[in-house]
Amino acid sequence: MNRPTGLSRRTLLATGAGALGAASLGLSPRGALAQNTVNFQLSWLHSTQFAGSYIAQDRGFWAERGLTVALQPGGPNAPVEPPVVSGTALMGISAADYTAAAVSEGAPFKIIGVAMQNNPFAIASLSANPVNQPSDMEGMRIGMALANTPVLQALCTINDVDFDAIEIIPTQYSPQPLVAGEVDCLLCWATDLPVAMTVQGVENTTMLMADHGYAVHSQTYIVTEDSLANRRDEIVALMAGEVAGWNAYREDTEAATDLTLAMFPDAGLDRETQLLQAERQVPLMFSDLTDANGFGWWTDDTVAANIETLGLLEREVTPDLWDRSILEEVHGA
Amino acid sequence: MTATALRPWLGPILILLAWESLAHLFASAFVLAAPSAIINYLFDNTALMTRALGVTLTNAAAGFVIGNAAAILLAGLAITLPRSENMIRALALVIFCLPLVATGPILRILFGPGTGPQITLAALAVYYTTLIPLLVGLRAVPSDWLDLVRSYGRGRMTALIRVRAMAALPYLVAGLQIAAPAAFLGAMVGEFTGAERGMGVLTIRAMRDMNIEMTWALATLATVVAVLAYLAIGLAARAVLTEEPPVILAAPATGKRAPHKNLAMVALSTAAILALWWGGLEALNLSSFFAKRPGDLIDALFLAPDAADTRAALSSALRETLVFLFPGYLAGLLTGASLAMALVMAPSLANTTMPLAIALRSVPIITTAPLVVLLLGRGATGTIALIAIMVFFPTLIACLHGLRQAPGRATEVMRSYAASPAAVLRYVRIPAMLPAFFAAARINVPASVLAVTVVEWLATGNGLGSLMALSASLSDYDMLWSAVVLTTLLSVIGYGLVGLIERRVLSTYAPEQLA
Repeated sequence: MNRPTGLSRRTLLATGAGALGAASLGLSPRGALAQNTVNFQLSWLHSTQFAGSYIAQDRGFWAERGLTVALQPGGPNAPVEPPVVSGTALMGISAADYTAAAVSEGAPFKIIGVAMQNNPFAIASLSANPVNQPSDMEGMRIGMALANTPVLQALCTINDVDFDAIEIIPTQYSPQPLVAGEVDCLLCWATDLPVAMTVQGVENTTMLMADHGYAVHSQTYIVTEDSLANRRDEIVALMAGEVAGWNAYREDTEAATDLTLAMFPDAGLDRETQLLQAERQVPLMFSDLTDANGFGWWTDDTVAANIETLGLLEREVTPDLWDRSILEEVHGA
Repeated sequence: MTATALRPWLGPILILLAWESLAHLFASAFVLAAPSAIINYLFDNTALMTRALGVTLTNAAAGFVIGNAAAILLAGLAITLPRSENMIRALALVIFCLPLVATGPILRILFGPGTGPQITLAALAVYYTTLIPLLVGLRAVPSDWLDLVRSYGRGRMTALIRVRAMAALPYLVAGLQIAAPAAFLGAMVGEFTGAERGMGVLTIRAMRDMNIEMTWALATLATVVAVLAYLAIGLAARAVLTEEPPVILAAPATGKRAPHKNLAMVALSTAAILALWWGGLEALNLSSFFAKRPGDLIDALFLAPDAADTRAALSSALRETLVFLFPGYLAGLLTGASLAMALVMAPSLANTTMPLAIALRSVPIITTAPLVVLLLGRGATGTIALIAIMVFFPTLIACLHGLRQAPGRATEVMRSYAASPAAVLRYVRIPAMLPAFFAAARINVPASVLAVTVVEWLATGNGLGSLMALSASLSDYDMLWSAVVLTTLLSVIGYGLVGLIERRVLSTYAPEQLA
């Protein structure tokens, strides 16, 4: 599935059309940011995964910057990239690997912030037969989407694990195959399926791939190059509200959870599950790096580590995929 | 209550009891929720469930009205301008065969936030199964009635409204009944494209959270609503109509035509589709990053340096899909036809079987897909069973109708010779059933392709369904659109092949249908 990158005719055409589409939207007048409404495309259904944004909405962190933000939920059949390319959404939440794939297909994206410093991918197993380190997977059956095979391959390469000694069983994204004993472990996010098992009383073990060398920025904020050039003020306001929201989230994950449940009573959210998810994503989002420089930050070193892991996923990217100018303005660096 | 009054309830009660005990037996596998647990969940979460049901039902109803109105308009157009009929049929079939997995995200871009994709997918799911019986119904008019209209100096429009529309009413009802569960499924899948509320949203949540009670409660609620809609349309129809609604699911294949004319029609339709595809994307000014034109696909499939890889990925996905599609499709057809024969031989069975059959067909496949795979394993059995479930109900209904249409005189002659019921079945009823059977077999081709791609997407993770979902997440839109074309072609070609077999068989057993 991995395509060679490089500038084919298709890429050029696509970039051109994308830029044209965005430019035509850029024509509308936007003098003093008089309560512009912008769409912000989330990557999944409403849940505490985006609770920082809900706080920004609820406490007026965007309103006080003259911005009205509409948070658009994602879903299993709602890719983030098209609305951002077409200009329907000013900003979207993606991940470095998906963004790299989109860029190689001609999407003019820049990553302007990194919500998850540590990739949330993990290997989940039952505590009776745990995976504590990558080599434990040898001889096991792993349940995952076949699409994620390169992810598992990269983890094996980084940790000198025999990839061929692991049996991949394609499964839907659910803890059920593990609980029913169809597989020995799952490739999933540390913040969703293991949380579901814990809440249902199934004892489980989670091995975070980021702790074993898998460095891919996740929950990254993406915008088009054109928006970055022409709608800068709105993007700065959007990111500033976002940063304030997530800082408040970190202070009180319980309040963030309650706000999420109150804002989306129709989403069928379970408080215990949502709170546990909210707590578990804190160490993925905040680190010494963000303590020193602010939410969403990255350095040349973390980008270099990302480029290396992305290379193992056969995604060739250059450091200029990341553009820190918006964050620098927000954090006053 | 006497024993006879109890009898119709015996089957359902036994099933519920078995279900309840199985659920308790396998509680640790997180697969099956007991009926008692489902009822408990529904009681504890009445407000949430009611709101979600309201949202999805509203979208489904809007799609139902729009889709059926479109079908009626198209049918009217085809009858008033007979030359347009073949083109309308061809375009309608192709649009009906477009896979949900791929149309969803495109609709989201076109409509932006809101309920646009939910309503559109519901409308797309229903219009074809109404259009086709309507086209039959509008023709099911004695020609002297039309002569009468003409003798009064009135034109085609009067004939359409005064005569044809009345004759077509029973056929319209037949289409509407099938449309009800389909609209609900369309609205739920529409919610997968990014929605804040509804039954589809809750279904995703329940599966992620491994909340078995919630999953089964949602499936139960959706089934009950779909069955009620099915029954309500049937009841309303019986109040209005004097005769039982016919269940002709698709018109018999068109009569003999010179092969070169057929080829010309195919070429013309293909040209029209390509023009619509290219022109539509250009008119909507959609970015070619995700909205690929025919030229982009030719480039990706034949000219690009990685064209061979793309083709290899597509053909291996196609093979994976076909391996499940064929057995599932055939199993569904055979089960449907045999059950229909069993019911005709032993009518008392119908009391238990029919409600169960309607329920099975009405359960939205997006909730059943993972469940059936959990119950039957992720090998071939689960997928094949799901396709069979999608196929068997329309086949059953159509075959029952066909079997009952056996000419009374022929049956009486057989009886007077003391022929056994089995002989009557073999020599009279089965030949009478064949036209309806083939009509069902054709319309089931797209239905089974829909089933297999949804199962692959949501449960087993291989084949064309998974390839489409995967390429969308990796922004590989050349691959996605290629897979869409392939999936659509698969349905359309399958539909055509069944039509060919149908003509062969009917020319022997029911030549009047081909007139």
